[in-house]
Amino acid sequence: MSGVSVASGSTEFGLTETRWGRSPSSGDMLALRVVATARVVAAIAIAAVGSYRAESHGHQATLLLLIGLVGVPWATVVMLNSDSTDNRIARFGGPIGDVLALFAVQTLVPSAAETVLLGYLVVVAFTAYTAGRAFATLVVVGAVAAALGSNIITPRSTHLHMSAILPFLLAQVALFTLIDRTRLLQARATTTSARLQTRADTIVAHVADAVVVTDGAGAVLQCNAAAERVIGPAGSAAPLHCHDFLGLHRGERALDCSDGCALLRERIDGEFGLEVWRRTADGRRQPLLADAARVVGLDGRIEVIHSIRDISRIKQAEEAKTLFLATASHELKTPLTVITGFASTLIRYADLDRETRTDALQAIHARAQELTRIVERLLLSSRIEAGRLELNLEDVDVVPLILDRAQAFGAAMGRTVGTDIAPDLPHARANAHAVVTVIDHLIDNAAKYSPGGEPLVVRASGDAERVRIDVVDQGIGMDAEQAEHCFERFWQAEATDVRRFGGTGIGLYIVQSMVEAMGGTIGVESTKGSGSTFTVTLPTPSAARLAIPAQAATSPDVGESTSIREFMRQIGVPERNRR
Amino acid sequence: MTTIAVATVNIVLGLVYSCYGVMTILDLKHGWRERGFSHFGVAWIAMAFTCGPHHLAHGLHAASTGTNAGFLDVAAVLVGFPAGVAWFLLRVEALAGGRGDRFIKGTPTWLKAAAALGVVYAVAMAGAIAWTWRDGISFTPRMTPNVLLLFVYCVIGYYLLRTQLGNREPFGGWSVSGVALSAVFPTCGVMHVLFATYAASGQYHVDPIGLAIDWLAVPAAIYFVWVVRALHQGSFTDWNEGAEGVRPRWALA
Repeated sequence: MSGVSVASGSTEFGLTETRWGRSPSSGDMLALRVVATARVVAAIAIAAVGSYRAESHGHQATLLLLIGLVGVPWATVVMLNSDSTDNRIARFGGPIGDVLALFAVQTLVPSAAETVLLGYLVVVAFTAYTAGRAFATLVVVGAVAAALGSNIITPRSTHLHMSAILPFLLAQVALFTLIDRTRLLQARATTTSARLQTRADTIVAHVADAVVVTDGAGAVLQCNAAAERVIGPAGSAAPLHCHDFLGLHRGERALDCSDGCALLRERIDGEFGLEVWRRTADGRRQPLLADAARVVGLDGRIEVIHSIRDISRIKQAEEAKTLFLATASHELKTPLTVITGFASTLIRYADLDRETRTDALQAIHARAQELTRIVERLLLSSRIEAGRLELNLEDVDVVPLILDRAQAFGAAMGRTVGTDIAPDLPHARANAHAVVTVIDHLIDNAAKYSPGGEPLVVRASGDAERVRIDVVDQGIGMDAEQAEHCFERFWQAEATDVRRFGGTGIGLYIVQSMVEAMGGTIGVESTKGSGSTFTVTLPTPSAARLAIPAQAATSPDVGESTSIREFMRQIGVPERNRR
Repeated sequence: MTTIAVATVNIVLGLVYSCYGVMTILDLKHGWRERGFSHFGVAWIAMAFTCGPHHLAHGLHAASTGTNAGFLDVAAVLVGFPAGVAWFLLRVEALAGGRGDRFIKGTPTWLKAAAALGVVYAVAMAGAIAWTWRDGISFTPRMTPNVLLLFVYCVIGYYLLRTQLGNREPFGGWSVSGVALSAVFPTCGVMHVLFATYAASGQYHVDPIGLAIDWLAVPAAIYFVWVVRALHQGSFTDWNEGAEGVRPRWALA
């Protein structure tokens, strides 16, 4: 990191430089903009002088005004194109216009010829610096031709003396050679440096791990996009210490960087990283794998590169896998035990009477169906997790679906599932199969957690924007914390619930995923000991159509609080994201 | 009568635009620490402080010299007046913590009629200007900045109108703030070209102060167009970086 820069922002590679880091060089761009601005000011000045003098100084001033009138739009166009060093209008058009304007001024105002010669020198110097050698040579030749040509066509009495022309020619050549040579050497060095920098920046910007560079004292100098994703935004307006930014802990001990980088001290040679953790803004414990290395910065000072990998998902996946194996094994084991038992009985006792055999086969069939349901749920859960759940939405009348599923469950479970459906219920924009799956899961869930045979009710109501389905039970219910987590995958109200009520803990996760895939919402109200009400809302077809522009328009009725931002909004200045 | 109307409306507009410049300075001052320097803000302040004094000088000149103000000048300034004042009042409302904009759902008939009237107005104005030239004009070079400003303001108006048309579909309507602002710049351009026309016909005398202000307005407007284009191109960022009210990044960490 070279020196201190007051600028801050993001490089083209997405690396965030803090206020105290380096900023990319923009010398050429600056030169283009300064000269473009000077050109506009000069053109306006020429037009203004022409305007003021036109009435009193006649023909010559009017021609000067014309030069200004042509020059102002031209200089403006060049200025508007001076936002890139590659822009041809800025690099080539500007100098060509300059030479023509100087030629015109020298011809119209021969008394200003010596001043104009200095103008040519400025144009040549600028062109040699910003354009290629071939074009700069052309400009040199053009400037000489224009200066001499103007000298020829003006009255003899106003001709420039050779004592002015000769130094002018020599100065042109010398200036061109000097700047061209300097530019060549600078270009070579810049190319090599830029390649190395690009390579390094590309590597750092595109690694998935967070990379944070600090100076020897721990002040954050630079971090990549992944760091902002893993850790949070780095600073720009004040130096930030790595202890505040990273806040790493090992075990229950905070890593102390007051005597140099703690990661460097504690890392074990030959191993990649230490398992550490940090507290996130929402208080969560975020497990990380971190490593550090010393490098010498461009200014010769020691810097420390921290490489940090977020291993939250790995840890979660490990926990989920363990939990899944436990719940799935348990769920699969119960019906398999029954099936195995009855199958063994049928094999061992071939002379069983017909009624007993039928009972045994029906038990095997029922348990096999249960196994199929479990496996289907697991497969559906995997599809959702893999992002392969795609639903074709259509206008669906949910009333027959609710009545059918309530009746089927009632018959299958031998208990009443009541229904309370509002008249003139609007259609929903949904997928009929998904709605059936949602209702099945919710009734199944309600029945499972109402072990005393308490009444179950499915209610449906709606308005112009949504259809609402409530599945109400008066079972064991949940407390607030349980209700908050009940839609998480593999979650169950109590660890013992797996044994008490069975289930894999994925039913409500599937329901939530399907409802959200249809553009709906799901929520739960529950009281421990008094039962739960699961509420699904689905958009009506008209609301679903309106949802798209509503998302595009954030708040069209409210302007920005500052005039500057409001004008930017109205003139269409695109919003840029801070990194 | 026309002289009184031109003088009054121009003086009010001059005060409004000057107040607007002050308001933008306050915005810039308050936002500087958080968002940094704003080319856009400075360019807009420069324009407000050339537009405002231009109208003030024109109004005071008309009032003090009793120049017979042209009917077209009245027509131009009266059309631009409600748009300029509407935009200003919305900004005052925002400054006081209010909404700062209104939304027109869909394209109501009155808005379609207003757009149609706008086209008729533009054509009629062009015809009337041409009619003023029917006996030939002695174009004095002192009118140069007015002609330059016509083109620059039309470019700004084009950017604004393009944005409003682009927003219509996704938002399902129009922003009053945007529509007002879109109307301000073309009418400002028309006012300048009318001023040049009347001056060329000898009806208006050019005062040196007004001419100096107009010459300052040219680089200010060009600077503004350059900033807008550069922001569209993304060659630098200004206060368009991040969301409204965002805190410095280090404070979020």
